[in-house]
Amino acid sequence: MFREIFRFELRQQLKSPLFWMIALAFGALAFTAATSDHVRVGGGIGNTHRNAPYVVVEMLADFTILGMFLITVFVAGAALRDFEAGTAELFFATPMSRRAYLGGRFAAGYVAAIAVLVCVALGLNLGALMPWLDPARLGPTSVKAYAYAFAVIVLPSLFFLSALLFLLATLTRSMLGTYIGVIAFFVLWQIAVTVTGTNPDRLTLGALIDPFGIGAFEVATRYWAASDRNTRLPEVTGLLLTNRLLWTAVGGALLGAAFALFRTDREPLRWLRRRRAPAVTEPHAVRGNVVFPAVALRSDARAQWAQFLKLARFDARAVLLGVAFLVMLVFGLVNLGADLAFSNEMFGTKVFPVTHLMLESMNGSYNFLLLIVVSFYAGELVWRERSARISEVTDAFALPDWIPLASKLVALFAVVVLFAAAGSVECAIYQLIRGYQHLEPGLYLANIGLVTLQFGLLGSLALFLQVIANNKFRGYLLVVLFMVSKIALSQLDFDHNLYNFGSTPSAVYSDMNGYGHFLAAHLWFSAYWACLAFAFLVVAELYWTRGSVQGWRERTRIARQRFTIPSRVLLAVSLTGFVGLGAWIFYNTNVINRYIPGDLAKQQMADYEKLYRKYKDLPQPRIVDEQADVDIYPHERRVEVNAHYTLVNRGTEPIRDLHVTLPLDVRLVAADFAPHQVLSDDRVHGYTIYRLATPLAAGASMNFGFKLEYWSRGFRNKPDDTRVVENGTFFDSDIFPHFGYRERNQLEDRNDRRKYGLGPVPRMAKIDDQAARRNNLLCCDADWVTFETTMSTELDQIALAPGYLEKQWTANGRRYFHYKMDKPTLAFFSFQSARYAVRRDQWNGVALEVYYDPQHAYNVERMLDAMKKSLAHYSTAYAPFQFRQMRVLEFPDYEKFAQSFANTVPFSESIGFIADLRDPDDIDYVFYVTAHEVAHQWWAHQVIGANVQGVTMLDETFAQYSALMVQEHEYGATQMRRFLKYELDRYLAGRSAEVVEEMPLALVENQPYIHYRKGSLVMYALKDYLGEELVDRTLARYDREVAYQMPPYTTTNDFLADLAAETGPRWSPLIDDLFHKITLFDNRVVEASAHRRADGRYDVTLKVHAAKVYADGVGKESKARIADPIDIGVFARAADGKEANERPLLLEKRMLPDGDSTLKLTVAGEPYEAGIDPYNKLIDRVSDDNRMRVSIQR
Amino acid sequence: MLEIRDLSKTYANGVEALKRVSLSIPNGMFGLLGPNGAGKSTLMRTIATLQDADEGSVRLNGLDMLADKPAARRLLGYLPQEFGVYPKVSAEAMLDHFAVLKGVIARGERATVVESLLQQVNLWEVRKRKLGTYSGGMRQRFGIAQALIGNPKLIIVDEPTAGLDPEERNRFLNLLAAIGENVVVILSTHIVEDVTDLCQRMAVISAGEVLLAGEPLDAIRALDGRVWRRAVPTATIEDYKARLTVLSTRLSAGRSIVHVLADSRPEEGFEPVAPDLEDVYFGQLKRHVVASPAA
Repeated sequence: MFREIFRFELRQQLKSPLFWMIALAFGALAFTAATSDHVRVGGGIGNTHRNAPYVVVEMLADFTILGMFLITVFVAGAALRDFEAGTAELFFATPMSRRAYLGGRFAAGYVAAIAVLVCVALGLNLGALMPWLDPARLGPTSVKAYAYAFAVIVLPSLFFLSALLFLLATLTRSMLGTYIGVIAFFVLWQIAVTVTGTNPDRLTLGALIDPFGIGAFEVATRYWAASDRNTRLPEVTGLLLTNRLLWTAVGGALLGAAFALFRTDREPLRWLRRRRAPAVTEPHAVRGNVVFPAVALRSDARAQWAQFLKLARFDARAVLLGVAFLVMLVFGLVNLGADLAFSNEMFGTKVFPVTHLMLESMNGSYNFLLLIVVSFYAGELVWRERSARISEVTDAFALPDWIPLASKLVALFAVVVLFAAAGSVECAIYQLIRGYQHLEPGLYLANIGLVTLQFGLLGSLALFLQVIANNKFRGYLLVVLFMVSKIALSQLDFDHNLYNFGSTPSAVYSDMNGYGHFLAAHLWFSAYWACLAFAFLVVAELYWTRGSVQGWRERTRIARQRFTIPSRVLLAVSLTGFVGLGAWIFYNTNVINRYIPGDLAKQQMADYEKLYRKYKDLPQPRIVDEQADVDIYPHERRVEVNAHYTLVNRGTEPIRDLHVTLPLDVRLVAADFAPHQVLSDDRVHGYTIYRLATPLAAGASMNFGFKLEYWSRGFRNKPDDTRVVENGTFFDSDIFPHFGYRERNQLEDRNDRRKYGLGPVPRMAKIDDQAARRNNLLCCDADWVTFETTMSTELDQIALAPGYLEKQWTANGRRYFHYKMDKPTLAFFSFQSARYAVRRDQWNGVALEVYYDPQHAYNVERMLDAMKKSLAHYSTAYAPFQFRQMRVLEFPDYEKFAQSFANTVPFSESIGFIADLRDPDDIDYVFYVTAHEVAHQWWAHQVIGANVQGVTMLDETFAQYSALMVQEHEYGATQMRRFLKYELDRYLAGRSAEVVEEMPLALVENQPYIHYRKGSLVMYALKDYLGEELVDRTLARYDREVAYQMPPYTTTNDFLADLAAETGPRWSPLIDDLFHKITLFDNRVVEASAHRRADGRYDVTLKVHAAKVYADGVGKESKARIADPIDIGVFARAADGKEANERPLLLEKRMLPDGDSTLKLTVAGEPYEAGIDPYNKLIDRVSDDNRMRVSIQR
Repeated sequence: MLEIRDLSKTYANGVEALKRVSLSIPNGMFGLLGPNGAGKSTLMRTIATLQDADEGSVRLNGLDMLADKPAARRLLGYLPQEFGVYPKVSAEAMLDHFAVLKGVIARGERATVVESLLQQVNLWEVRKRKLGTYSGGMRQRFGIAQALIGNPKLIIVDEPTAGLDPEERNRFLNLLAAIGENVVVILSTHIVEDVTDLCQRMAVISAGEVLLAGEPLDAIRALDGRVWRRAVPTATIEDYKARLTVLSTRLSAGRSIVHVLADSRPEEGFEPVAPDLEDVYFGQLKRHVVASPAA
């Protein structure tokens, strides 16, 4: 019986065109994902092969999730088929068993779902065979990977999913109900991912509660290098096995519940027993003759308005009280709550919930739901009367044609407004709960307005498409096609907003600068699209179906009849507006600004390299002095620079040609230097070659004067003109002319390079490349320069640049500042202007200043404190501070970094200024980042390395270490451990995303995950082995030797030589492991037990596993011998069991054999945890198994 | 007075739903009788402005209804053959909603209209009940109530009694009968009794053509003495159909009663019977089938 039902159902499934459509679509999507970089579902990045086993599993897992919504059709379809077809009672009257019936249906639905994933696998595999793929990015086809993916991920996941769907369908007995359930499940799952995703401590939980097993799979492969991903698959043990068994069991339970709750009667299961409707009494039909109530039917304008309002209210009510809307709203709010609670963390520390961050959260996944809500209800509303068959009645009413359409549009707007308002209220409540009271209702309202505009456009289009399609599902299909095409267009670099319906440059917000000039651009584009949307609506009104209409010809005939004067006028006006605004926008984006689509930008970068890389080593003069008058006009977003360089020929040959590069959006108004002619002036790539009439002799110097104008006029296609804004201008001397070819303007991405016919990715110069040591990290046309600037800005702003303020005055209604540096510095200068509040302090005669936005006074004191403590520590430990003044300056959060210029640190408002440090247990990253930036005054502004391998270790790694030490002195070693765990995690994640080659620290090639993250770990381990004093002494020695060095610049070799000299040969294996190798440990506790001795102390037995490997640049590992002792620790905890209150009973370094060993320890108190390398000082690919709870044997 | 002239409609799939239909319909109840698929609904929907005809005209008291749909709709009350309701809305709220859409804007006036109509169709006591809980008959009465909003001059009622039980049907017909003589009421139906009971004038329509138009009594009188009846074994019916013009066969107590059209007693055993509208109707259909064997 089971078999017959299964066979019958499966045949039904496979006969359905929908099944084949979905299967083919998925197969095609998989094929595209496997062959193109534009469609990305999971997929290989970096050195991981496109068809690596790891990628195959990830892709199939992602497609399983993606398929959730479509598979619903099969599984729920199988469960609902007989109820929908009305055949249920025929079946249930037969003697077949319920188990056979349900089992057969379920199994067939499940198999159909699997069949779709098989098509995906075929698509993936076929894709990998395509000849146009980069063979370097493909590995051998791994049948095992497919088998593994199906056995471990796809089959159990689909089983769970199918069981869930089957249960939902059985309970609700409706496709809509099932869909709502699926969405609910999806949202809950997303919340779980959000809640557990960011913090390493919650990863295990996150991996367990992921029903698709991806979390567990990712935990198992988290620290895999590319070579692992290309060859290995994780064993099905531990977390992965637990997860798979857990969710298969849950699936089984759900299926059991479906069997148990299944009912054969006609009513679906109801949760609440309805009050019984009273028996209908039939009153008499009529009394006497019918008298028609005398009324006049009105159709004047006021009557139409009244009808419109009434119908709009009626439609809006229907939507707002609709189950689907309420479900989406509730899920959206829950999701938003989770997002608010867990986003905007840095090292686990939160920021103050300032209103614009609330809006950012809301404009993410929450408003994304509006995409679904609006598209769904556009269909529902257009078809509302017809689905309910009310249209049979109302279409014959004397109601003007425009009213129903307009009322539906209003209903959609109401949905959007209410949705956005509900989210805003939730955000405001969250702000209040966090104890934050600066709510900014105006900003919330503005955002609701912008959101309404954005989704109103989508709603108008969706209404139009529904009316034109004249079939609900065709309408939905058109809307989906529209969305897909939108994504496809932008992926294919068709990125101008002018031809991408509804696209606008986003209205970027910062507390400092508000919406700034970005709002106008956003609104112009919105108005442009609103005109088109209105035209669409006019056409939709013409084609609005009334009564029964057959075919396009008839519809068009009716539309022509309706195309009367008012329609014509409206259409003409809206199209005129559309064209007019389009012209205005085009003038702004393409005429007075430069619009370069993504692919063209890459092409230009490629051409730049092809044309000019040949000049890379051409000798050019060096800048030795910079004098700049910088006039900033914030409201006009304009800067005028009138500057002057002194250039020196430091080479041995005369220099005939000056090669000058200039950013494309900066205009060179005049250049004033020795007689010359222009050899070539390439405005596309910003490269001009001047021939000097008299070559610049070796050792001679010359003047180079120039006038620049940077003017951000009108608006751009993208909101990327953030340099000069109304409040919060920040740019640097990169907008000035520079000499020679600039390698930083090259294309870096390997695939892009291949596509544009460039060679392999240019690597950093080798550490022993003597010629490259001519230049330091910053660039190639200066060493140490003297600097002086006069800045001017508007009256209520302060303008700042590196140097000391010599003089300030007011003239011509503007404010002037004259800054001068009294000693040579690196040739890199920042220029800022904003309405600042200033907090001043001093340390040992050094003036300390923080310039901040008056709204962001929260952490100014912390910054000053960090500056003082940093200056105190560094000047004692390394070398004296070279300046008389140190400043931190806030800038808008268009960029999210802090950067250290000479005595000047521009600091983004988003990192630090709004950090919420009220909880003393949180990691104080404001303190840390400030300390890091102050450390750059030594590690960059005193010691700067040659622009060769390892150079960023000399500034970033040392700055990390210096800040770590200040932080440790301030907050203690416990906080260090938490901090370093974040660093470890980010290093390991970074190395698995490496696309070129992972370098050892001493040869780092500007790879942030190495010079920051690994740098912290390496230096901390070094300090741990050698002692802080020795490390400081070495750094001080190194500083003394190389500070303010002229070419050839120093390299990491010099530092490591100093280190070797200070430590002697005893530690050379350690130094080798840390700096010259990629060393990874696999340390873990296998067993930990203890029993109490008679004297009250405890004997602890600790079984540990210790192993060390070396990895090469692509992650291939080889075993290594453990050469240095490793920490062993036993810890007690206070009664509250909090880690913050833990107390080491024993902590010592021990030499351990490779592999397993057993340690017998005796400690004074009751042990709570014990571990090997318990503070995670070594780089261990799995860091959370280094400690274990000690079991006490009584 | 409703004048229908040469109305034709051919659907995209080639079906000729109306073939040059012409009818003059005076005030009062007019029955449009025809089998399923005869084109009744197409005709009704065309008059109700919900569908365009290929050719022909419809004029109501001089107004060209096909050309000026908005004006036509202001004179119209229409109860479609099948119509839905929002099941969770009360009758009162729904009727109020319809009244606004029809153009009864003033709130007080609208309340009066709604109350008056619900009283007259006797749904006032149950006005707060949701429409989803109404029986078929109540729903049809609600349908009539909405059709009467705004003093229509032309009321179109399409197959209103289909699916009603005898009692409900009775109530509904009583209601229709009370609507009065001052407006044109077109009742389309395939149930002969509806017309017999209600209409002073009628037309029979089949395969898009008007077969007969006039007063029912005249039509019946034309068959006087020409309809014969006999009870026969069911198995022999085909023989009778082959030999005679059989109008109808009906089962009665396990035997078949045949009605036959003939100028004189066709065979032994047949007895004369007084003709009724059903005989007229079947007679017309039969003639039509004979006349156009292709249909």
